[in-house]
Amino acid sequence: MIALENIALRQGSFELSDLSLELAAGEYGVLMGRSGCGKTTVLEAVCGLRNISGGRIILGGRDVTQLPPAERGVGYVPQDRALFPTMLVREQLAFALVLRALGQAEIGGRVHELAQLLGITESRDRPPDKPSGGEAQRAALGRAPAHPPSAPCAGAPLAALREGLLAAGWRPRQRVHRETGVTILHITHSPSEARRLAGCHFRLADGKVTRDENRSCA
Amino acid sequence: MSGSKLSGFRVASDKPFLIGLGVLGGSYLLIIGAMVLADVVFLNYSDRPVLGPEMVRQGRYTGGEVVVPVKPGRSYYFRKGKNDAGLRLGQQRIASDGLFLAAGDRAVLLPHASGRPITASLRPEARVMQIAVTNHVATVTTGVAHGLLWGEFIRVRGTGEPGWDGVREITDTATNQISFAVTGAAKPPAKLSLSKPNPLVQALRSRDIRFSIKLSLISCTLTTLLSLWVAVPIGYMMSRFEFRGKPVIDTLLDIPIVLPPLVVGLSLLILFRYMPEWLSDAVVYKWPAVVLAQFMVACAFAVRTMRVTFDQIPQRFEQVALTLGCNRRRAFWRVIMPQARGGLLAAGTLAWARALGEFGPILVFAGATRQKTEVLPTSAFLELQAGRTEGMLAVSLIMIAAAVVVFIIARTLGMKRIFA
Repeated sequence: MIALENIALRQGSFELSDLSLELAAGEYGVLMGRSGCGKTTVLEAVCGLRNISGGRIILGGRDVTQLPPAERGVGYVPQDRALFPTMLVREQLAFALVLRALGQAEIGGRVHELAQLLGITESRDRPPDKPSGGEAQRAALGRAPAHPPSAPCAGAPLAALREGLLAAGWRPRQRVHRETGVTILHITHSPSEARRLAGCHFRLADGKVTRDENRSCA
Repeated sequence: MSGSKLSGFRVASDKPFLIGLGVLGGSYLLIIGAMVLADVVFLNYSDRPVLGPEMVRQGRYTGGEVVVPVKPGRSYYFRKGKNDAGLRLGQQRIASDGLFLAAGDRAVLLPHASGRPITASLRPEARVMQIAVTNHVATVTTGVAHGLLWGEFIRVRGTGEPGWDGVREITDTATNQISFAVTGAAKPPAKLSLSKPNPLVQALRSRDIRFSIKLSLISCTLTTLLSLWVAVPIGYMMSRFEFRGKPVIDTLLDIPIVLPPLVVGLSLLILFRYMPEWLSDAVVYKWPAVVLAQFMVACAFAVRTMRVTFDQIPQRFEQVALTLGCNRRRAFWRVIMPQARGGLLAAGTLAWARALGEFGPILVFAGATRQKTEVLPTSAFLELQAGRTEGMLAVSLIMIAAAVVVFIIARTLGMKRIFA
């Protein structure tokens, strides 16, 4: 689950306060809002890349407000993918696992599984500038939840968060969601993309988050 | 009216603009190329004859032609100046520089116009009169004063004896005697001819310049490593963090670039007056001073380069790495540094090249002591001071070669990254 409880944020003259949002475990949430309304700031706060001045952030039933990004157990898939240019696709998928000092065999197995799930087995051994746009998108997605939801960050959900939109990316992401059961908060400024995505819809406007009651979260 | 203007819209040709770019860029490139090429071409790589004292008195062509008595059968070296038309020897006329054999007993120097100072030079070639050898030291007596100095190098040829021919260091001199060590037989050879090797050979053989090459290479490499060691953290900090007083630090970092190099040296010298005695004794006018002087200037350039490098790597990479389980240190080493390799190489090369050319601060802070704090620019300066412009040119060529080698290495390493 992902829950923001009355969080307050400040960035220069920009300010958000008393912001709340709740997503049950395994749900797919879409956060919409116009450019500049603070979506990215909220996203960075959830990831722990930005300090909040008030409220609590709860991921998987755990209060992570004071935890560093590494210990929150979130996966972050930015719009520009941010694949590490110096690593092969395979190494990107293994990155989080290597950091957790898993065994060679286990890493290999998980990377293989992930590549199959995402359909990027072909481009595994290529540098990230070589796979096509869609493959890069999937690789970025695969890198994010590649660390095991069990093991060191036990019980924590994996939230593949994403700001903005790349048309090629949404289909495999929903498949990942279905097959892994992670909680996903998808952030976009495009209403047309949002319409194509199933799940709970939230709108961020004028410093408030409102839930779109017309759509079911199923 | 406006309709016809819109439909008939034309843009002016791009040619003048592109030609302008080409001419401006091209002329600069041409100067760069010509400058380096001129050094390489200008140096005369052949051996020089060993010459006696000047026979032409620098003065005026008061009566037009000037008669210089010569000995028939001996060879002389003539160098034509800009006020001279040439040399007449009986029926023979010599209008170019070089050695010639005197046929008659008088040579006549021909002026371009009378009333101008003589600029030509006529010197006898030193002939070997006598060869002696004691304890593997050969002493050669020449017919005239040879003007060679102790520590210079001489090429011995035509002896036909093993262990005699080759470039030898002059170990002792008198007005018309030179001594050098030989490894061959104790019996002196019947004949022997001497010549001065070209300045490049002289420079590369000289113990002083060998020391300065070594010190230059070592100090520049040390400076580069130190500079990168400092420039990487400063560049990263300036690129990634916002804090109070950042503009002040930014200005401070530029001071070594803006300050005149001599002032950097002087400031260091004065600073070390306040240091504990053991420290200033160990640094000032010793080799650490060379490294410190180079470091102060080179590091500022490395910092600039590293900052730009980190500025160009989006912060997003670190953010992603942080969420994937890195702390800042791991994100830096695993994600950022691999991407900064090109910039690191550029910063290193720049620092190395700056350090190689550093002269002013070294002169002030480390002095110019031979075999102690002499680096290549100091050698060039000392050669110039001694009036040996050719020696200076030779040292400059060594520096050019060193710089070219380092740049090729850096480029190849950089290429590997691109083609990998």
